[in-house]
Amino acid sequence: MKAPILKIGPYLIASLQAELTDTDLLELQDALVEQVGRFRSRGVILDVTTLDVMDSFATRTLRNIAQAVGLRGADAVIAGIRPEVALAMVQLGLDLRLSCVRTTLDLEEALAILDHESKGSGRRG
Amino acid sequence: MNEERKPSAEWPLMQEMGITDREIARHQAFLEFGDEDIQELMSINELAQKYADPIIEDFYKHLLSFEEARAFFPNPELIERVKRAQKAYFRRLTQGEYDQAYIEDRLKIGAVHERIGLPVKLYLGMYTFYLRAVAARLFEAYRDAPERALEAYLSLMKVVFLDIGLAIDTYIYRREQLIRQQQEAMRELPTPVLQVRDRLLILPIVGVLESHRARQLTEQLLNSISATRAKVAILDITGVPIVDSKVANHLLQTVSAARLMGTTVILTGLSPSIAQALVVLGMDLSPVKTTVDLQSGLEEAERLLGYKLIPVGEGMAQM
Repeated sequence: MKAPILKIGPYLIASLQAELTDTDLLELQDALVEQVGRFRSRGVILDVTTLDVMDSFATRTLRNIAQAVGLRGADAVIAGIRPEVALAMVQLGLDLRLSCVRTTLDLEEALAILDHESKGSGRRG
Repeated sequence: MNEERKPSAEWPLMQEMGITDREIARHQAFLEFGDEDIQELMSINELAQKYADPIIEDFYKHLLSFEEARAFFPNPELIERVKRAQKAYFRRLTQGEYDQAYIEDRLKIGAVHERIGLPVKLYLGMYTFYLRAVAARLFEAYRDAPERALEAYLSLMKVVFLDIGLAIDTYIYRREQLIRQQQEAMRELPTPVLQVRDRLLILPIVGVLESHRARQLTEQLLNSISATRAKVAILDITGVPIVDSKVANHLLQTVSAARLMGTTVILTGLSPSIAQALVVLGMDLSPVKTTVDLQSGLEEAERLLGYKLIPVGEGMAQM
């Protein structure tokens, strides 16, 4: 299956589902990095609310997406890591891979942060 | 395989401490206490029955001349009762019966002494007094055959050391039990997760933070974050006595897990000694916001949340 990418104003939102295979994840990465340019998006939200497991490959891919879209001028935020997933990630040492990526409680919070930042940069610029 | 017989319920202390027949046999074997010793002891039994009384009387005169010992005997009836019990014990030493009932009684003596807080030195002092007194009487009685007196004396030493060992075991067992209970109590200390403002949690951690509790704490924090949508959480470790590398790692994990959920954790209450210790351990706490006390932690949290605390007077003046 393919992960849907939703476009809301200046942001792209990708919702990750448990059924996504490694290949699907890589396709998502390509699509997001490409679309950030096409839509001139300022932010990318990776919503993982429905995931109850985060393995090492998924974690690495999420970090790669964040870094790649960052290079193309968009802020990436991972939203909705669940308590038990966070605990498991810490125990597996996967949390360090995400140390350079912003994480938020949920989609709403992610949107608030991105809004806040673009306002800030708007004022500066 | 030979199944070790469990100590029966008839001897509660043996059972509680897990002392089996085999364990006693090993103890006796180590002391080289055997049938010849029992024979030796029984051969002086008649004599021992006679000297038990005077030795005890002398011993109590000696004991009660020390103030710290007198404190354990608030009234004369108690002294009489203890004397009687001790005479019975001394008589029993040479009667050749060192069975489970005997062992259980020795453990009981240790437990009683531990409970009333009798110092071990008084307990051991009693034995040296007794052995010295017995030696004098034995060599006196066997003036023509000192080697017989020595044999009997050495056998007596063995059984006395067996008894001392058992009593001390009970002392140690009781203390360890106490330590275990206290550790248990400390483990069960709950850590409340307090919401002080909208989206701000405080966790005052008190007591030793070992693995099990650290995990519980992390789970609690993460679930509370999800329930209250907290953006900032303050972990106050003022009440944590020791922060070693293990505890520090637990804290780092908690902080990291909370961050994955989008919550900033502020660690407060690092005492000077803990801060120094962490530096010496080479722990890198740089990913964590730390402040010296809860107050500055709160101020930092308010800043992150965009609150500003204004005294009422000033606020009025501005209006």
